[in-house]
Amino acid sequence: MEHISLSQIAIVAGILLILIGLWAIISQRNIIKMIIGFSLFDTGIHIVMVGVGYVRGKTAPVLDEAVNVKEAARQIVDPLPQALVLTAIVIGLGITALMLAYALRLYQKKKTLDVKKFNDLKW
Amino acid sequence: MLKKIFFLLVLAGFAVMLFNAYGLSGPDQQLNDVAAHYAEKGPQEVGAANLVASVIVTYRGLDTLGEVTILFLAASIIGFFLKARRDNQRAPKQVRKTSEILETAAKVITPVIFLFGIYVFINGHLTPGGGFQGGAIIASGLVLMLLANPVKKINHNIIRVIESISGFSFILLGIFGLLLAGGFLDNAFLPLGDFGTLLSAGAVPLIYIFIGLKVGAELSGIVSNLQETQKEQI
Amino acid sequence: MVEPVYIVASGLGIAFLLGLINKAGKNPAGGVMLLALAFMTLVSLQWMSSVVFAGNSPHYTFTAGFQPPFSISLMMGEKEAFFTTLVNLIGLLGGIYLWERFHKQGVNTMIVYLLLFVGLNVVVMTRDLFNLFVFLEISSVAITGLVLLQREHKAITAGFKYLVATGIISGILLIGIIFIYQYGGSLYIDDIIAANLTAVKGGMVAIFLVLIAIALELKPFPANGWALDLYQGAHPGVAALVSGAFASAMVFVLYKLLPIAGGQWQTMFATLGALTFVGSNLLGIKQNQSQRLLGYSSVGQIGLLVMVVGLAQFLGDRLTLIAYGLLISHYLAKAGLFWLAGVLDQDQIRNWAQLRKKPHLLALFGTFIFALVGFPPFPSFFAKWELIMQLSAGSGYVWVGLILLGSLLEAVYLFRWLGYALKLDHQQLPAINIQWHKIIPIVLAGVGLFVLGYLATPIASGTAGINFIPLAFIILIYFLDVLPARVKNIVVIAAMAYYGYLIMPGLEDVRFIFSVIFIIGGILTLLAGFAYKGRRKGFYPAALLMYAGLGQLLTAETMLQFFFAWELMTIGSYILIIRGKNSIRHGYSYMLFSVGGAYLMLAGFGVAYAGSGMADLAAIANITQLAGWAAVLIAIGFMTKTATLGLHIWLPGAHAEAESDVSPMVSAILLKAGVFGLVLLFIHMGGEAASGHPLFYVLGWLGAITALVANLSAVFQEDAKRLLAYSSIGQLGYILFAFAIMTHVGWLAGFTYTLNHFMYKAILFLIVGGIVLRLRTHYMYEMGGLIKRMPYSFIAVLIGIVALAGMPPLSGFAGKWLFYNAGIEKGWYFQGGVIFFSGIIAFLYLYRLIHSIFLGQLKDRHRRVKEISPWFLIPAYTLIMGIMVFSAKPGWILQPIGQAITQYFPSSPLRWQADGTAIGELGYWNGSQVMVIVMGVFILITLWLILLNRKAKKVEQFNIVYAGERPERPETTHISYNIYAGYNKAIGFLATPWISGLWQWIADGFRDLAVQIRRIYNGNGQTYALHLLTYVVVVYLITIGG
Repeated sequence: MEHISLSQIAIVAGILLILIGLWAIISQRNIIKMIIGFSLFDTGIHIVMVGVGYVRGKTAPVLDEAVNVKEAARQIVDPLPQALVLTAIVIGLGITALMLAYALRLYQKKKTLDVKKFNDLKW
Repeated sequence: MLKKIFFLLVLAGFAVMLFNAYGLSGPDQQLNDVAAHYAEKGPQEVGAANLVASVIVTYRGLDTLGEVTILFLAASIIGFFLKARRDNQRAPKQVRKTSEILETAAKVITPVIFLFGIYVFINGHLTPGGGFQGGAIIASGLVLMLLANPVKKINHNIIRVIESISGFSFILLGIFGLLLAGGFLDNAFLPLGDFGTLLSAGAVPLIYIFIGLKVGAELSGIVSNLQETQKEQI
Repeated sequence: MVEPVYIVASGLGIAFLLGLINKAGKNPAGGVMLLALAFMTLVSLQWMSSVVFAGNSPHYTFTAGFQPPFSISLMMGEKEAFFTTLVNLIGLLGGIYLWERFHKQGVNTMIVYLLLFVGLNVVVMTRDLFNLFVFLEISSVAITGLVLLQREHKAITAGFKYLVATGIISGILLIGIIFIYQYGGSLYIDDIIAANLTAVKGGMVAIFLVLIAIALELKPFPANGWALDLYQGAHPGVAALVSGAFASAMVFVLYKLLPIAGGQWQTMFATLGALTFVGSNLLGIKQNQSQRLLGYSSVGQIGLLVMVVGLAQFLGDRLTLIAYGLLISHYLAKAGLFWLAGVLDQDQIRNWAQLRKKPHLLALFGTFIFALVGFPPFPSFFAKWELIMQLSAGSGYVWVGLILLGSLLEAVYLFRWLGYALKLDHQQLPAINIQWHKIIPIVLAGVGLFVLGYLATPIASGTAGINFIPLAFIILIYFLDVLPARVKNIVVIAAMAYYGYLIMPGLEDVRFIFSVIFIIGGILTLLAGFAYKGRRKGFYPAALLMYAGLGQLLTAETMLQFFFAWELMTIGSYILIIRGKNSIRHGYSYMLFSVGGAYLMLAGFGVAYAGSGMADLAAIANITQLAGWAAVLIAIGFMTKTATLGLHIWLPGAHAEAESDVSPMVSAILLKAGVFGLVLLFIHMGGEAASGHPLFYVLGWLGAITALVANLSAVFQEDAKRLLAYSSIGQLGYILFAFAIMTHVGWLAGFTYTLNHFMYKAILFLIVGGIVLRLRTHYMYEMGGLIKRMPYSFIAVLIGIVALAGMPPLSGFAGKWLFYNAGIEKGWYFQGGVIFFSGIIAFLYLYRLIHSIFLGQLKDRHRRVKEISPWFLIPAYTLIMGIMVFSAKPGWILQPIGQAITQYFPSSPLRWQADGTAIGELGYWNGSQVMVIVMGVFILITLWLILLNRKAKKVEQFNIVYAGERPERPETTHISYNIYAGYNKAIGFLATPWISGLWQWIADGFRDLAVQIRRIYNGNGQTYALHLLTYVVVVYLITIGG
């Protein structure tokens, strides 16, 4: 078991979440479920991001008592993906909110959430 | 059925691609050059004990500005998207009363939540947390308020003023960095102070305060907009 | 210099503040937003002047004051300055355009609008991959918001589909970015390029993910249903931005990021671009909804640009010209068209006839269409030219083929649309509501196209240059269109005369001969314009455009100049032809054949350029490889204009339905442009030395068969102008045959025919046109007996048909004599036989023409009809004098021509004696003597007839036709109706229009294909998401696999 590290588990799980999310997006006809699919998709990506920044056996990149400032480079995990993932989460949040607002309006127009019913434009 | 198989085939192809990209390699044994630079030089260059904060606010401050912008965008879009309909249908329908426990608890807890949110973003450069987290906590306090009292009208003007002022201040701080220090969003135009104390890391705490306020305002705006639209539905 | 980061800071700062400014009112808020956009535009313009024009080195902005890769850096180089300027400029114009919308929808829409442009600016400038992702998201989200400016249900569904699609795309992009960081340890683009990640499989897949995500943002066919829905559903002002600003920025992003693949996948992207360009334009041909059609066109154009980016290694230092030329034409034209769509508010392209209520808007519409297809003088013309040249030079002929196919398909729907706007009925449509804030951006886009085209010319044409004075004059005439037609006619004729005075003395031999036809012929046919009253709006700019093109053909020295002139002429003649009453179909098919022919010619020039490395027309003479292909392609191009069999189906309708004075222009003069082209081609192929080339054998046969079939078709026409039109095809067949003989005598015959056809066809069309104007009918069975009412017309037609038939004593006979001499000398007996036979057939239709119109009984309703307008008679009689001179003294003209062609065909068996007798191998001929003898015989016979008929009694006409019956089809009672029914039974099968059927079949095939393919766009956002994923997986499996 020592060959498998935390980050591998995280990344594989993240990829699986991505796939589950995509599956929901392309196969669930209910718009709310599609949006949940997007949330899963995004979450999967975020987990992969954090996993990529992991360095074996290191601690969080906050220079407090646990970390020596002089030797920080050898004691912490990569701070960059953590910063990126924060940005990505917020972006994902904004988009989810927007999608929900859309879902609300779409529902008001046709009183249904079946994505197939909204095909007024085609060809 | 055929369609399902096709879905699965496509997803399988996608999975192959993702696993190929990952390569199933183990984690790195040491930091790459960029990260090492942040770890080694970060304390001197930016002066924030929380390295993630120094990356977010200073090294990649432009991303953060963009990120705030996206929230702002989403809030603005939702604002005008949902507003038009609201104007048409004035009369809000009767809403079910919430429980007394929730109402009472909300009155007690909400100020504490707000306080906690402020604490989180003021200390963002020292401890895990920061403007986004703090802002989100503040907004969650607002959600609690709305849950407790669904008919309560949120004053959008206040939200608007807060988001405008804090967003603009963020930009101004960035420009100060450009004029007084090394570049746009450089935090070093204020003294870096003693490493690890509250008044350190130059402009980072200030920026985080504005981010916190702005994020709190945006999220509150989104939540209350969605909630007010929903009110007509019930 | 203002630091570029202020673009971002000002945009964001103002966007954040707008909510507060709004407290002071909507006008201040809107004004401040426009000011911010203006400031952003100024900053980027200032960098453009510094980096692009003053040649300063690029400027780097390090945010937070740290070097990359530790911080995010922005770059302001040549390309960044150009693209930010494009983005900001359209932001400013689009903001003005949407002014009223913003007011209606409130300050939040202004915020969203401003943020879109902040996002795009950073996307262009940033050198950091993740930063690119963040600001790309800003732009996408802003678009999803702006879609809602149109508060209709379709906008909301379109926005949702867009949101789903961009959600998936940005996810893929993010996965790619994070894995690139894993393998490369940096997000700085230059570091990633240096790291050469494609060496590792994982790194390669990561890069693939990033690049395919950018490709998906560019809306590749067929994974682009969401984008089309967006174009259709969004407010036109927003669609303009998506097409102009967002797509332009994304093309640049692809260009910026492609190096991270380390030189791999360029071909893949070029292929994806080509697929999009061809596929999208194919689907466009079935589309009738204007905004969606523009969507197809946008997607196609962007596909072309992706292709250009992918093929950059072929294009060398011309890449800038090509990419910018195509981009800027697309950008301005597409924005202009979307904006126009917003002004009209007409969903269906058929209803764009509404534009005719505001002719200036119609002119702008035409400008945009021509710019999109790549006509001169717009930048896209030069860009397309260079693109084809450079691709050919790199032997990328498959790419050339795909580009030309896609462009042709695009022309198919754009010209259908233009035709609708020009011709369909607009009486029923509502008036156009003019709002100046909407019109100004459109006008600026149109003016910009002209200005940039003018500025691009020196870059494209090098030292050779292009004379823009005629074009400037045409624009002046366009603005003088309010003057009465007569005044304009005088001005235009004077201008033509002056133009001729300028260029004709400088022309040598062959070019001079054609200048007589183009310039003098032009002036003569313009004289007929005095017969028209009123203003004749739009006629003069078009006519001048055609003549300017013809004139510049004569002076062209480089292939580019030639092609430029050729396309100008095409625009002018298209507008002239489509002016005819029922010409919508014919103008359309004329344009399609012209465009198709021009593209073949372009490909031929490309081969010539590649094979010779020269830009001069003389390149054709110096091709070292694929010379045959160049010749064939160029020849086919010219033969679309000469209407050789198979490529002729546009002609009968186009010439017959044109206005009375346009028919002679397009028939007697315009067709000769094709002849001129062929003559130049044959000369450059080597003249006599090349006469053994198999191409000429084929062309000879083609000419002969064309003559036969066309003459036969002419026989069965009821419509007088159509008859003449078919006759033109046949005559052009003779001309092709004669030149294809490629001997001295053959060419002499060719020139004789060319000049003759110019004269007699002009006469016949002028007279028949004049008659049509008087009688208001084309049909011969509705005429008859006009000899008494129109004696001058009768004489002119008589002389015309005698000349055409090649009967002595007139000049047509000279042509025939030379013709048979040449044919026999060459040994082309069979072909000669066919030609001879078709000559006999010509008698049938000529007899019918003069008989049905002038002889027989005068119709009751024509008893008071007057002689045709003197303005038609004057040019006709001038030309008759020409024929007489040519007939009496053929040596005056043929001897100089003979001398002129001696340099190409030195071995001349023909000798001229001092008295004008020509002596060939097979006999001799003296025009003057023949004239005298025939005249003598004619006078004798006339005298004898007069003597004989002294006692003849004059019989009054009376009507016995309708005695006691009411025929369902009265025309069948006219003697001339179906006069050659017997012949039709015997040999009519030769004239069955199976060629039209063939072309129709091809057109239907494409249309059916489009119908089948476009079913994939089923309107379901989920299906579109599946398309995206499938697209990624398929491209992945093809390029990387497993």
